[in-house]
Amino acid sequence: MKAKQGQRRVLTGNIVAANAARLCRPEVIAAYPITPQSEVAEQLSAFVADGMLDSEIVEVEGENSAMNVVCAASVAGARVFTATSSYGLVFMYDTLLQTAGFRAPVVMVNVNRETPGIHAVSSGQQDMIATRDSGWAQIIVENNQEIMDQIIMSYRLAEDFDIQLPVMVNYDGYYLSYLAEAVELPEQSDVDAFLEPLKKQPGRPRVIPGESTGCGTHGMEMGYVEARYKHWLALERVKNKVDEIDKAFGEYFGRSYGGQIEEYRTADADIIVLASGSAAGTARTVIDAKREQGIKAGLVKLRLFRPFPEERLIQALKGKKAVGVIDRSVCFGWKYGPMCTELKALAPSIGSIPILSYIDGLANLDITIPHISRVVDEVQAAASGKSFQDVTWIPMEEL
Amino acid sequence: MTEATKKKSKIFDYFCEEEQFSGGVAWCAGCPLELTARFVPKILGKNMVFVGTPSCSAPVLHGQNIGAWHKLSYLACVMTGVASSATGLSRYYRRTGQDATVVCFTGDGCATDIGFQPLSGAAERNEHIIYLTYDNEGYMNTGNQRSSATPKGASTTTTPVGKVGRGKPTTAKNMPLVMLMHQPRYLATATLSHLEDFAKKLVKAKEMAKEGFVYLHVFSPCPVGWRIDSNLVIEVCRTAVRTNYFPLWEAENGKPHLTVEVASPKPITEFTKLMRKFSHLKEDGIAELQQTLNDRYDLLKKLCDGNK
Repeated sequence: MKAKQGQRRVLTGNIVAANAARLCRPEVIAAYPITPQSEVAEQLSAFVADGMLDSEIVEVEGENSAMNVVCAASVAGARVFTATSSYGLVFMYDTLLQTAGFRAPVVMVNVNRETPGIHAVSSGQQDMIATRDSGWAQIIVENNQEIMDQIIMSYRLAEDFDIQLPVMVNYDGYYLSYLAEAVELPEQSDVDAFLEPLKKQPGRPRVIPGESTGCGTHGMEMGYVEARYKHWLALERVKNKVDEIDKAFGEYFGRSYGGQIEEYRTADADIIVLASGSAAGTARTVIDAKREQGIKAGLVKLRLFRPFPEERLIQALKGKKAVGVIDRSVCFGWKYGPMCTELKALAPSIGSIPILSYIDGLANLDITIPHISRVVDEVQAAASGKSFQDVTWIPMEEL
Repeated sequence: MTEATKKKSKIFDYFCEEEQFSGGVAWCAGCPLELTARFVPKILGKNMVFVGTPSCSAPVLHGQNIGAWHKLSYLACVMTGVASSATGLSRYYRRTGQDATVVCFTGDGCATDIGFQPLSGAAERNEHIIYLTYDNEGYMNTGNQRSSATPKGASTTTTPVGKVGRGKPTTAKNMPLVMLMHQPRYLATATLSHLEDFAKKLVKAKEMAKEGFVYLHVFSPCPVGWRIDSNLVIEVCRTAVRTNYFPLWEAENGKPHLTVEVASPKPITEFTKLMRKFSHLKEDGIAELQQTLNDRYDLLKKLCDGNK
């Protein structure tokens, strides 16, 4: 069975996210406005006002409450949705941990934006990085179509009986949130059909009135350790599940994204650029140009950040001569960018090749074609044995 | 006559459910919280869902004390999330037609401090929940630290009395009035010394929560933190009412009236002498405490009278 051809519309990333949520029929939605996410909350309210979506919408008084509302509703049995960004994401931090600990299958959009310190209303992945140890699955997407498709896939992932974990879908604020591009909107019946397998699973535990059910019980000693262990195991299972769901989505809708990572011209590549989000699109253009110059470069687009796709990355990078990692955030306390730091943990399995860290694209500064071109050249030089710089803050070098 | 106002012969006549708690629950000796937690579900029924947070009630309500427990459904969430979690539960139960009374059960620290924002938000959105604050005037579970419900002059572990320190330097947030200004569907104050008054208010609360937000403020002295003899706790509740330190009143849609009017209120010293948290106060400190409660009672009385 194949899905019907959907309607093609030119929409911003935020409007696409709201449409994707609508198509998944969440029963309870709570969101608090924050730039650059506000359109998502507004559009969902408009859908309800126009009778296009039958959901309980709670106009909460802050993000912390947004996460509590959807977490509790999820624990009661509801399908839920919320969206946030930056300061909002970190304002819900206690509940972010709670939601994961409760194994509540919340699906949340996080429109990536810089975080407090220096006030910044601009793009960057620091918000997602600041919450990477919260026990959520974190996925980063590249374009508006992928926003649509990944939100639908995320319900299949979050509510899977073997997973039961919250999923955060990340897309670049400004670059995607306000960018209008052509997107295929799947038919409602096709989204229903794709989510249908969830109805055939065993029911997950719920808090039911009058039935002596509870959630958030004090976990003492071994009870706590066991819950943590099972949570950790479930997050490990996310890796293969993301690949499976991506494959099933591809078979039904005709679009797939590689699952945990997307590889582009990597098979015969000597050197690899690792990037994520909207920068991956730019990187593809650079890879093509470099190939024409005879440089055997490939791209790995990191889609799944939590859990970290260890096995797939080892497979993709084994035998390569050097890697350059572009991070759109800072890893305070380590020299390298966050994704680079984590990639370096795989070094024993991928061999002692040069791994070059690049910090770029903070605070709405573009990750440009010349930037990525420079990365490829430097990684290529490192691969041929030349000395290299461990970490490069690209914008600082351009000052 | 509504169900709530009908006169019943005995307090047992208000009960619609059997005891929901097992024996052996682990609250401090003499703590009114145990009686309150046992009493509330007997009237609200077994379809009530407790929403709580780390606090004095947590060890029993959320299963830390695993030797004894209760039969009610519950959700134990973070301190910032009580009213908002209750919102999530209530919205979904109502949407799916499940019969439930969602009851937030928290101390004054959660209600007046860290959980105030979601409480205020839920009241403003008129969520169909009951928010019950058991007010022991401080963070008693963590060892008697001050909260914004701690009265002026009270000695706590974070406002200690010393060479310079004279107890808490500022007056307590007048939480019932703060909540009255939200014009909830129903609001009431209650305490265990006036059990039938409390029972009627719970019956009413259950009815009103079907229409909107309900706030209950329950005076709940802490024998350990306030240093009260454990056999005197109910007497402290009674004296709080008779001195007008804790007036008993209720309000529908923001229109208050007294449910227990004290003909000749006793001086505050009758109340303060029962505990040691005010024992360092000199005449001026006591006079100030008396003045504060007089002012607050006058304001409440004006609101009630303006409503007649």
